Amino acid sequence: MGVKKIKLEHNTEIELDLAPLLAVMVKLVPVLLLSSAFVQMMIIETELPQVVQEAIQRQDENKNEKSSITLEVSNKNGLKIIIKEKGINKIDTVPMTAGKFDWVSIHGKLKVVKKAYPEIFKVDLKPEEDVAYEDLVKLMDEARRSRDQQKFPVYDTQSGKNVETEYMFPEIVFANTFEG
Amino acid sequence: MSRRNRYQPPRKRASTFTLNITSMTDMFTLLLVFLLQSYNTAEVQIDLEPGMRLPSSNTSLNPNDGVKVSVSTESLKIDKKELGKIINNQIDGKDLDSHDSSFILPLFAELDKIMKSDKDKKIVKEGRILLQADARLPYSTLRKIMYTASMAGFPQLKMVTTVGN
Repeated sequence: MGVKKIKLEHNTEIELDLAPLLAVMVKLVPVLLLSSAFVQMMIIETELPQVVQEAIQRQDENKNEKSSITLEVSNKNGLKIIIKEKGINKIDTVPMTAGKFDWVSIHGKLKVVKKAYPEIFKVDLKPEEDVAYEDLVKLMDEARRSRDQQKFPVYDTQSGKNVETEYMFPEIVFANTFEG
Repeated sequence: MSRRNRYQPPRKRASTFTLNITSMTDMFTLLLVFLLQSYNTAEVQIDLEPGMRLPSSNTSLNPNDGVKVSVSTESLKIDKKELGKIINNQIDGKDLDSHDSSFILPLFAELDKIMKSDKDKKIVKEGRILLQADARLPYSTLRKIMYTASMAGFPQLKMVTTVGN
């Protein structure tokens, strides 16, 4: 019996059937369009490293002994940093520049305060009634952590050593919410 | 003058034709990649109110669940339910308690209803509020919301912001 030889043409072009692939994509696109987040939203709250959380806890426990920092925000006078230490108030001000908050100076001043009081992580915020919400969020951003990765010492109770963190004042409390 | 008919060559009418879908598939592939990139993986779905401009922040925390309170330059809402109007960036005077100008009556009533209801027990127990507020609003308006929410047993306020520098 003779074997029939099959001739293979190597130069033939195969056309791929893309129709099923396209059908899947057409179904996928609306699903993804519905579940896509075009504006990414985040929240401001305190979720911090263990060491920083412990430091805040220590600050809460020793409320009466340690110093406290209050930030008074005003559209007229800018930012007033009030440091209460042993019953004495030290006041530092960052005035407005051309009717706007000077965020660079505010951040710089907060870093100086943090250097002087590395054990404080919690600040009281007292804005005036007319201060815009976006300015308050910006102030919280400036106070939360060092922008230039500068580190501040914090005592780690587990290792018994000082470790470094870029967090400055991550816990901000609206202190005048109940003041009418 | 006589109108002459234009000469039309005889056309071959094919019974079937194949559509070239390669370029369309290319386009869909690009679209899929883009959509997969912006796919929302957050556990909480937050719908932005129309016309609202949220403040931008450098915080990197994904929102977690809470009672969704939104305050735009026009209205105060809880989960799309309008509770009151905002006039000139302030809470409408008729919604405030006559004895306490910081107390928003409809907001307290709604939060109290949520507090007493059986649903979302964890949120209620922790007293968590997700506040979407327009960036242009003054602190006085926000303070009244914070004050009323605290009075209703919701002291944990999470401020919703957009991602920015």
